Parts: sequence; C-alpha cells; structure tokens
Amino acid sequence: MGPRWKGKGSEGKALADPMSKIVSQLKSSLIQSDSHGLLSGCSVLLEVETEQTALLNRSCFGRPIITAQKDKQWFQLGMEEAFYLCYNLKCLKIFSYDECTKNDDELWNYMKSKRETFPDLFKAYSHLRTRNWVVRSGSQYGVDFIAYRHHPALVHSEYAVLVLSGGDGNANGRLRVWSDFQCTLRLCGSVAKTLLVLRIDKNGVGAGSPSCLESYSVEESTITRWSPEQSREDKTVAENGTEQEICFEHEPSSWSLQRTTSS
Amino acid sequence: MEVEEWASSSGGTSDSEVCVPDTNDEEHYFTSGDIPKLQFRKNISRAHWDDEMGMAEVVGKKGSMWTTIGIVRSSKIYCSIEETLFLAERGELSLLDADDRSVPLKDIYKKVAEGKSGCCWESFEVYRHLRSLGYIVGRHGIPWTVKSIKKKPPSVEGTLELEVIIDQKFEDLNLVNELFNNIRIDEVRPVFDVYPPNSKFRKSSPGNPSFVLCMTSGHPPSKPEIEDLERQCNGIPLKFCHVEYGCVSFFSFNRVELPVLP
Repeated sequence: MGPRWKGKGSEGKALADPMSKIVSQLKSSLIQSDSHGLLSGCSVLLEVETEQTALLNRSCFGRPIITAQKDKQWFQLGMEEAFYLCYNLKCLKIFSYDECTKNDDELWNYMKSKRETFPDLFKAYSHLRTRNWVVRSGSQYGVDFIAYRHHPALVHSEYAVLVLSGGDGNANGRLRVWSDFQCTLRLCGSVAKTLLVLRIDKNGVGAGSPSCLESYSVEESTITRWSPEQSREDKTVAENGTEQEICFEHEPSSWSLQRTTSS
Repeated sequence: MEVEEWASSSGGTSDSEVCVPDTNDEEHYFTSGDIPKLQFRKNISRAHWDDEMGMAEVVGKKGSMWTTIGIVRSSKIYCSIEETLFLAERGELSLLDADDRSVPLKDIYKKVAEGKSGCCWESFEVYRHLRSLGYIVGRHGIPWTVKSIKKKPPSVEGTLELEVIIDQKFEDLNLVNELFNNIRIDEVRPVFDVYPPNSKFRKSSPGNPSFVLCMTSGHPPSKPEIEDLERQCNGIPLKFCHVEYGCVSFFSFNRVELPVLP
C-alpha cells in the first residue's frame, strides 16, 4: 500500500515543504522564545504565541487546548513529544508546578515512572521523527503510534505502529498469540494502514538514563496478510525492506508465518 | 466477562471490511486559524480560591450551570479544582486570589499539575470530556449538599461511613480533597459519580448516579479489583476510563450469562 495523498495538489505541496524544514523552523522559534512547558500528569502544557501555534500545527506536535483565552494558545504535548522537543531537539525546557526546571535525567525518570514502557516507546517515536515522519498517538487504532509521510491534512497515515521490546521480552505484551495478529491486521486493513512493527533491542544497556537510548537498536518490519484468493494474478512481492507475510490457507486453522526478504 | 467500549472521544472506527479513508482521525489543524476559540462571555461568575481548602468559593453566580456544578455547604457553593478549571478555560469563571486579582489560566494549570487539590491532569480531561457533553459529574462519594446525605438511598453502603464523617464536620472541606489525595497513584479508584444530562437535576435530590467512574493508571483493572469496586459501589454500575494522549476511553466490564439455546 503506497501513500494515499488527500486530493490532487497534496503530494506537490508536501514535496515543496518538507517536514524536516518545518520542524527545524519550530525548533529555532522555540529556542528563540526560550519556551517552557508545564509538566502535568502524563502531559506537558505549553503556552505559545501565534507564530509557534502555526509551527506546532504544521509539524503536528501536541494538540491545542481550546480555551477562551485570546492572546495566546495552549498546547498539550504527550510525553514522547515533549521529551523529543526537550532531549533531541533541545528547544523546550520543562518545569514542574513549583517552577523547577527538570533536567533530562529527572524528566526521563519521571516519564518512566508514569509509563513503564516509555524508554521503548520513546525510542520508536524518535526513530520515526528523526526520519521526518509525522508521528501521532495510535490509541484510536489500538496501536502505539500512527505514522504519516507528511501533515495529516495532506496525506492519510500509512503505518499503524506497534512497539515491541526485543531482548528482554515483549514488555507490552502485544502480538503473543495468533488471535492478536488477526485482530490487529483486521483493524489495520479496514482503515487502510500497514502494520509496522518496531522491535526495540536495548542491547543490555538498560534504561538508567536517556543516554542509554543511543545504544538501543530498532528493527523495522511490516506484517501483512496475504490472501491467495486475491493474489492469483498478482506476482508483486514487497517492494522494500523486510516483509513478513501471514498466509491464510484454505483451512482457517492452519496459519503460517512466512518471512520473505526481498532485496 | 464482556468488555464493551462505551464511548470514545473522537468516535469509533467503523467495522467495515472495505478500505475506508481514516475520516475518524482526530482533528488536525494545519493553520492556526483552524483552532476554534471560545466565545467571549459578558456574564462571568467569580470565585475565590482557598488554598487551604483546595477549592474555590463562588462569590458571584452568573449563568445556569450552577445547578449542576459545585457542592453546597452552609448556603455557599464550593467548586473543586476540575470544576474551576473547566469553567475558567471556557471563560465562564474568573478565579480571584486573596487580593481580588484574577488568577491567570496558567496558574490554574499549575494547581492541577501540583496535584494537591485532589485532581490530576488526566482526571481533569475526563471531567471536561463528560461535562462538555452535558453529563453531570461530581466527585465520588461527596454529597452535593449536606441535606442530600440524609436523603441518600441506603443502597450506597460503601460510602455510608464517609457520609457520617462529612455530616459531622462538613465545614471542614479539607476532607473532600484529603480523600482524594491519600489514594495511591497506582490503583484503580472510583473518581466521579456521573449523572446523565438532566435539566431538572437538583443538588438536594440528585438520586443515584447512573454510574461510578473509575480511573486506572497504566494497567487495565484486574478481576479482583473490579469485584472489589463492585462490592463498594453496591449496585451502581461501574465504568472504567483510560486516558492516553488526551483521548479518553470508557469501558464497562459486565458479567453475563448466556442463555442455553434450543
């Protein structure tokens, strides 16, 4: 399944305005205004000027909070988004209610305490963001994230992303039994997304501090269902990367997992 | 047990085989002009924040929402932090500090972040979500009025003890937040009593809530946890809620017995 652009001019618009450029504009704007976000529960609240409102919208970080306040706009950032802006892009400082700015380590520990799997989820998030994919929450589709090639106003999301922890076991417990695969693929198929599995291997370095992230490795694979009924005249195989296909044979009870690697 | 998803913030996904474009995506704002702003209101209620109490005392009531917001003690209305922030975000309430200066939204957000007033950001999001849909939401186990304690049906056994305490020293509203603050973060806990939208709602005779809403953190509730809560809420249905990236989802866990078919 290739990218599904929304309308005619969208692909051109996206090409002319690459996400990397928008994010770097956001970065310089936030640095310039010495932006500070307030840590509250599993969110970071950020009050911004008009220019940054536009940049946050165009780069798809956070979601606006609708208030009656006129001059400024409030945004709510998720933990991965906030940590990415703070740790990777170094353009956002985060403080707690008592006005104390949290350093990277404190923030990392706070977020880990809120969500055990934060280190893996963040690695996956930053893996995609550094590759200039737009990453949003996948909770509507029962996955960890969804990934867009560009702004969601221009293109439908391409991947439903599940984050699995390699090495030290499957921490978030996804895709353990066949019914999990059937369930996830059925849903992804009906909303026209490809299931992308990001397997995070901590390579034995643990998650003591955010500097551990550098040692983590990420393995990308897609899982698709292959339907013999619909494929009799179609000989195309996966176009790139490693593709795992699940073949559904005539007897519904006999599933087989096929890992096809194409070059 | 049957798990039923009761509602979700941005609508469900249709159960269709065909490829549907993801029209159910959350709102995406491309330009800042797309973000809706709430209308400026002329009649703004006013309330004084009481730090010790962790609640706001309403000093100027404007609008009809006061029939369903705030608890009544000694003929005064007190707003919890979630009610205060909800109204302040919408520009319906101006919160005043000790010197009668208006407290900016930022400082109310900070109060929630501090977590001392018995409500974290996630509980606030849940409150806002239900309240915006017209549901009437009160803190679980906290009577709307002192009068209503006596009228409360005896079915709510789990909270009887609490009611007696509140009855005895209702002027000590600190209790309201203490009850919330002393609860450990990790557990599943009943948070709100939720009533359906009802223009005839009366704080003095609210009736039974249509369900008790429980918040979970991280993990879905275990079977013993659900059973324990069901015992506590004696007959009033439970719903469980999960908040992630600003999306609120509600779930019911209902035991069912399938009929034996011919």
